[in-house]
Amino acid sequence: MTQVQLKAVRKQFGNFVAIENIDLEIASGELVALLGPSGCGKTTTLRMIAGLEQPSSGAILFDGRDVSEQPVQDRNVGMVFQRYALFPHMTVEKNVAFGPSVRGVPRAELAARLDEILDVVQLSDFRHRFPAQLSGGQMQRVAIARTLITKPSVLMMDEPLANLDTKLRGEMRRFIRDLQQRFGITTIFVTHDQVEAMELADRVAVIFNGHLAQYDTPDRLYRQPASLDVADFMGASNIVPGLLTSDDLAKTGVGEIRVAPRRTFSAGDKVQVMLRSEAIDLMTEQPATGGVPGKIVARDFFGASVSYSVDCGEHRINVSEQARRLVDVGAPVWLDIAPERVWLLRN
Amino acid sequence: MSASSPAVPDPADAALRGPSARERRARVWQMVQLAPIMAVLVLLFGGALVLAVLQSLGFAPWFGVNTFPDFGYFGALWGSSTFWVSLGLTLYYATVSTAIALVFGVLLALALVKIFPGKTFYKYLYKLPLMIPYTVGIALAVLMLSNGGMLSRLAAFAGLIDDPAQFPQILKTHYGWGIIAVYVWKQTPFITLAVYAVLLGIGRETEEAAAILGANRRTIFFRVTLPQILPGVVSSTLICFAFNVGAFEAPFILGGGFPDTLPVVAWRYFNDADYTLQLQGMATVVSIGLVAGVILFGYLAAYRRFERRMGRN
Ligand SMILES: Nc1ncnc2c1ncn2[C@@H]1O[C@H](COP(=O)(O)OP(=O)(O)OP(=O)(O)O)[C@@H](O)[C@H]1O
Ligand SMILES: [Mg+2]
Repeated sequence: MTQVQLKAVRKQFGNFVAIENIDLEIASGELVALLGPSGCGKTTTLRMIAGLEQPSSGAILFDGRDVSEQPVQDRNVGMVFQRYALFPHMTVEKNVAFGPSVRGVPRAELAARLDEILDVVQLSDFRHRFPAQLSGGQMQRVAIARTLITKPSVLMMDEPLANLDTKLRGEMRRFIRDLQQRFGITTIFVTHDQVEAMELADRVAVIFNGHLAQYDTPDRLYRQPASLDVADFMGASNIVPGLLTSDDLAKTGVGEIRVAPRRTFSAGDKVQVMLRSEAIDLMTEQPATGGVPGKIVARDFFGASVSYSVDCGEHRINVSEQARRLVDVGAPVWLDIAPERVWLLRN
Repeated sequence: MSASSPAVPDPADAALRGPSARERRARVWQMVQLAPIMAVLVLLFGGALVLAVLQSLGFAPWFGVNTFPDFGYFGALWGSSTFWVSLGLTLYYATVSTAIALVFGVLLALALVKIFPGKTFYKYLYKLPLMIPYTVGIALAVLMLSNGGMLSRLAAFAGLIDDPAQFPQILKTHYGWGIIAVYVWKQTPFITLAVYAVLLGIGRETEEAAAILGANRRTIFFRVTLPQILPGVVSSTLICFAFNVGAFEAPFILGGGFPDTLPVVAWRYFNDADYTLQLQGMATVVSIGLVAGVILFGYLAAYRRFERRMGRN
């Protein structure tokens, strides 16, 4: 297994800077997601790690060894392309066997490995088909099998689930995670879907405009985003401006909100207060202490969960909870949130 | 059909009834749309072909000859050993120049998909020969390659030879270097154009995937790129080869003289004072058509087999 490190990697196409000094460390056997909006440089980063693109400056290290000068063929990486890039003139079997056959693996061993991997991706029945005769999910499994059979030390996947329907996407997600755990391969995958990134990855690197905005575990990314942009991208709905009147109290348009004291903020700071909609308690009776009053203006029922829009002071706050009860629209309510679940951001 | 028949139509039923009115109308409309091109093909091409075959079989009452059907013209032609030498020369020039143009064309197309400084300029430059007529190319060859031409003078000037006349004979030999040079010069851009278009269509991803899987450049070309550009290779070489087999000016001006290539032989018959030799000329033309047809058909059939093997229909 291989540890991957990007040191101040920068990539420029002509005058256009696609990647600006990215530092990234991926532990051996880790599953990391590169997350970001379209055009932020995810594919470019993958291509540099694979060796398809040379960094304009900086270094890429595998197990501490600089591979910037190493040609693609010698890096022993695997890459599943966004559009699979299967060889259209070869059958499934030939596609999958391509890697080992050009690496001179003996016939008998190749046949055994081929059978094994086709079994893993459940494509044994399709081995004599051509790519044009396969569905999207099957093509993708061929692409994965073709990569895995070479036993890469780093596996890269560019938007592996983008072209699939919802059901297949769920199946493939589970499939990829199982595979990754089974083989323990250092895996980097690209996505612009934050749910997918959080569900699959050990750590997520959020990239905006060629800059690494945050590199963290999914729960920290979700609960404690480093910036407004990250919070926004992670789908935070309730962010209200406020003023810290003391270390543990923020005055906002919603009302006074108790917060956990933080070292980087002090009384008098202007802040953005982030309230995750599922961390808010919705009460129909006024509590003894705390609680900001509001009124429900809309209710969206999702079966297992329910989401309320609550007019609260100057702002409309989104609250979601499990659908054990349903509170009627128009009802007066009080919102409360544990101070340690409130997150502060700078403007 | 009774009123109680099921709502779902039985496919066997449909087959029995034959094409529906709508299908028939669609088919007629297709024919109508095809009519103009079919008319041109049948009248210009088919008509001329039938006439040529008839003449070569002794039917030419307008020359006062009508011995139809008479295979004597073909017999005389195919019975002489010079015909076979001529055929060999014709095929040799056509094959060698097509092969060389193919290699150059593919290399050039591969280079053009890469990014390099001045690419836009090269993309215009390489197409230049396409716009210049063959005769100009032939004149250029004479200017450059003949004894007393530019190359020989340069060689003499550089002291490689004492006199331009000592320059090795390139033109007017049966090796046909001049002919081949003109064909290659003119057809390389054509093949480049065709292959480049296909290359742009297939993109670079499969090649990159192959590289990541560990293939070197040679393997990538022969196992990944070439099979994918084959449609462009086949169609462009087909056109070049067919042209080269039938081309007249280059072998006439730059060739080595008797025995000539078949188109030149035909031309000599047509130009003879004895106009009954026209029929012999027609037999020659029909022979060229037959040979070219058989070769091209075989080539296409082989390519179809390859396509089938790749699962394309
Ligand atoms: N070969 C290239 N030449 C010039 N600019 C490029 C090249 N490749 C990528 N770029 C630019 O670099 C930026 C990052 O591209 P990249 O393909 O990495 O985006 P991405 O994050 O993968 O986006 P998406 O989610 O849409 O695939 C884009 O603005 C793109 O236009
Ligand atoms: Mg991309």
